[in-house]
Amino acid sequence: MRAMNQSTSLPVTAAAGRALMSGLRASLPLAIGYAPMAFSFGVVGIQAGLATWETLLISLIVFAGAAQFILVSMLAAGSGAGAALIAVWVLNLRHLFYGPALLSQLRERPGRLLPALAFGLTDEVFATAMAESTRTAVTPAWTLGVGIGAYSAWVGGTALGAWLGVGLGEGETVISHALTFVLPGLFIALLASALQRFLWPVVAVAATVTLILGWFYPSHVAMMAGMVAGALIRPALQDRSAEPQP
Amino acid sequence: MTLSSTQFVALIVAAGIGTYLIRLLPMLVGQRLARGSGPLTLILSALGLSAIAALIVVSVGDLWQNQPQPATLISLAAGTLGVLITLRLSRNVGIATLGGALLYGVATMLLQG
Repeated sequence: MRAMNQSTSLPVTAAAGRALMSGLRASLPLAIGYAPMAFSFGVVGIQAGLATWETLLISLIVFAGAAQFILVSMLAAGSGAGAALIAVWVLNLRHLFYGPALLSQLRERPGRLLPALAFGLTDEVFATAMAESTRTAVTPAWTLGVGIGAYSAWVGGTALGAWLGVGLGEGETVISHALTFVLPGLFIALLASALQRFLWPVVAVAATVTLILGWFYPSHVAMMAGMVAGALIRPALQDRSAEPQP
Repeated sequence: MTLSSTQFVALIVAAGIGTYLIRLLPMLVGQRLARGSGPLTLILSALGLSAIAALIVVSVGDLWQNQPQPATLISLAAGTLGVLITLRLSRNVGIATLGGALLYGVATMLLQG
């Protein structure tokens, strides 16, 4: 547990600016992963009968990948607005756990940045920040930079998909296949760079529970159960590398 | 799509506000939790790692479900190896991600003809 800065607001300093830029740079792989997904969302929105501005509005306001696809699919299928709304909220319930977990790893309190941090707290931003926190103290400004990069890629990709994408989103090329692996690849890289040997059981339990429940329940339910199950065994594990050697 | 523009905007705003509150409210409540110690803090600190593990399972599972055939397993193995080897050589998550993705794309093209 890192000590938190006692100030309640983060002054706009040169250090914070540098951290923000560093976070923006760190968001590059995430942005590359987001762009094709967002592009696809733009295409799907237009194909579902939405106007360009409506498709873009969803990405601008909701900023939640899978939930946006569900929302558009349900509307296109004629589901009621209430059902679509509940589906979006339920799908995003896993984010309930992200905020406290992120705060526990921040070097200082986010203060005025907290509302902006919360807006950008997607799966990928959270994973990037938590992986970085295993190597160095993460600041709110750095995390905000990651979020801004991710949001820009998401909105920009949606706009491109909605304006240009119909008919361009298909095709079998090395690049089109490669793009489908960018997000799994990012998660694998984050795990490999963040994992400490004594925490293997956390990973094993989370992956196993997600895999098993994924056969029976929607992936967002399996994922939420898996991440909680993995984290719950953490208190039983000891970091032996931190113990003094005889 | 039978919603008027006003109804559509109201729906999107409600979806956005709900999603935002799901992310924001635990942060407001969790500031106290995050400053604490003990088992709960350990659990919170492990949520990142366990979320990444769960995300790998879900995202790789999606790729598998799109093409459930042995060639996909080989492509996934190639992509994963590509990530790990590139990460070891470069120590950079971004380069490793792109290296793995490229290898996955090449393997998929070769195997699927």
